[in-house]
Amino acid sequence: MFQAFHPKNVVNTPFLFLTGKGGVGKTSTACATAVALADSGKKVLLISTDPASNLQDVFGLELTNSPKEVPGVENLFASNLDPEAAARAYREKVVGPYRGKLPESVVATMEEQLSGACTVEIAAFDEFTNLLTNPEIIEQYDHIIFDTAPTGHTLRLLQLPTAWNGFLEESTHGASCLGPLSGLADKKNLYSKSVEVLSEPSMTTLLLVTRPDVSSLVEADRASMELKEIGIKSQILIVNGLLQSYLKEDEVSSAFYHRQRNALKQIPENLKQNEIYSLPFVSYSLTGVENLRYLFKQYSIPSMELSFENETDNLPRLNGVINDVSSDHTRLIFSMGKGGVGKTTVASAIAIGLVETGHKVHLTTTDPAAHLSHQFQSDELNQNLTISSINPKVEVEKYKADVLANASKDLDEEGLAYLEEDLNSPCTEEIAVFRAFAEVVAKTENEIVVIDTAPTGHTLLLLDAAQSYSKEIARSTGDVPDSVLKLLPRIRNPKETAVVIVTLAEATPVLEASRLQDDLRRANIEPKWWVINQSLYATNTIDPILRGKAIAEIEWIHEVNEKLAKKCSIIPWQHEEKVGYEKLKDYID
Amino acid sequence: MKKVEIFDPAMCCSTGVCGPSVDPELTRVASAIYSLKEKGFDIKRYQLTNDPGKFAENSEVNNVLHEKGPDALPIILVDNQVARVGSYPSNEEFAEWFNVTPEELREKPKARVSIDINSLK
Repeated sequence: MFQAFHPKNVVNTPFLFLTGKGGVGKTSTACATAVALADSGKKVLLISTDPASNLQDVFGLELTNSPKEVPGVENLFASNLDPEAAARAYREKVVGPYRGKLPESVVATMEEQLSGACTVEIAAFDEFTNLLTNPEIIEQYDHIIFDTAPTGHTLRLLQLPTAWNGFLEESTHGASCLGPLSGLADKKNLYSKSVEVLSEPSMTTLLLVTRPDVSSLVEADRASMELKEIGIKSQILIVNGLLQSYLKEDEVSSAFYHRQRNALKQIPENLKQNEIYSLPFVSYSLTGVENLRYLFKQYSIPSMELSFENETDNLPRLNGVINDVSSDHTRLIFSMGKGGVGKTTVASAIAIGLVETGHKVHLTTTDPAAHLSHQFQSDELNQNLTISSINPKVEVEKYKADVLANASKDLDEEGLAYLEEDLNSPCTEEIAVFRAFAEVVAKTENEIVVIDTAPTGHTLLLLDAAQSYSKEIARSTGDVPDSVLKLLPRIRNPKETAVVIVTLAEATPVLEASRLQDDLRRANIEPKWWVINQSLYATNTIDPILRGKAIAEIEWIHEVNEKLAKKCSIIPWQHEEKVGYEKLKDYID
Repeated sequence: MKKVEIFDPAMCCSTGVCGPSVDPELTRVASAIYSLKEKGFDIKRYQLTNDPGKFAENSEVNNVLHEKGPDALPIILVDNQVARVGSYPSNEEFAEWFNVTPEELREKPKARVSIDINSLK
């Protein structure tokens, strides 16, 4: 239904960026593209800036930030830029010299301040700018391919130059959020050069990678529009993992096929404006140069062992989670996970499960890509279930307006301008959203609150620090809202709060989820459950291609169940999208 | 003329909006310091994450930190002596130190100043 993607016919710019939410196959597509271009005689550099990258596994090669030749492929070089490592290095450069000179507790506050998302993003962007603007590197290669991080991260990464350019120019007092990162200010010219390169169609092509499912298409559409807005207009859509045929007698196989085809009927208008190509659903893992070469030949099945015993039968399904939080008298449940793993669906299903067990429940969402209204459509709801949503953009505006209104009593115009500028900082959103759900929680009585997102460990630690700080100095309290003061200790209390991490049984989603867990542990919060969503392995399909994929899940199910999760539950791949109260109940039957 | 130095705790920004709420105290202090600097007074401000060196080198500040930990911040030095620990001076105190009226500390320059990128270091 779409032309098969082959890089030789499609790619003609020196720079190539891949974007798409975690788990759509960016790394595999990037690697296969790189191999194909190199095979056609071009000199290619493949760079991973994805902290969850498995580039090293794909080539079976230890990679660093300096390009290394890939054995078996002439003209292909690869390197790995881990933004978290870069951020760690940056943090250590700032903090390291003062260990031993300043008290440990003081050094700890510095480290936390430099552990936020901003530091990682800036560090990543910095690495990436260094490459994009280094003629010595650029001139050596015909193509440089960036296997970038999942959508949200990519977007911020790419949006940064514009944001920062504006920010650096407008900064009238020279302190502000540049704070920990002020060392980067003199790179302003490099940043604007990066922006030029990115928005020049003869230089840069953006490959939007999606799966043929509704949520990843919606996400690709969002990314596409946002990137068009900041000037990256040369875009190509790749539908990855398209099942070419199905077994009529296998319920899972035919449902899988038809779900994909139905999703593709609803490709958003904006995405239809792009050239669209497809790559086949394959059962083999895309590691090793030979398998990567198969991909563009559209091979879907090499021979493989098809029989296996199902080990997931003894893992609880979602009702295990529901019974557990119900009998534990948990009052606050957060589902947490990267976009597209189904955390809104899982939160909704848990909420309904609790209602069905006889609880009063309030369900709320903060995920801009999730639509609770979509999840429930025009259903008649159970009277024990109420629903609300928190829109981060609206909350930020509200918070800014609030702050400015309050402050205007004491400040004149110039002082306000000063404050307004600090309010444009990236931390503002996290704080604004946290305040919003603190309010939701405060308003509920006798209800279990289920929220489809959780604050990061970093936010909690900062809030905590701010809280003890203001306690210490009674004079200098800003008015920390009551709802926030009350919520912080509740989140920390495992008797009251359960965090449920949602993931898929695939490399990238598992790695991303384990990072979320690490971050929460820093704030002394231990996630109670992991939910492996959409597992093909937990179905009984006999379709050889799907079954091959199911076998590939085993490794990740083990990783979650044995190493990462305190308690692990698994949800089999569902034959249809569950929309509405009655349908969502299927998850708990 | 007196020399005043302010040693801030680790924070992202000098108005404190990154905290759970905006601290009007921080906004007031930021504005007062801005006014004093504009008048040419010797007043400096160091933030822990930006200028850790200043905290480590200054023996007065370092002593207070070793004794009381990070909660002692902000620390205010007047002519190299510790004048205040754990909170910011009032506008009246600032006014007294620099021999101006507290009202003058609320005066703001009318034009936005452009910043020299290189001076940000």
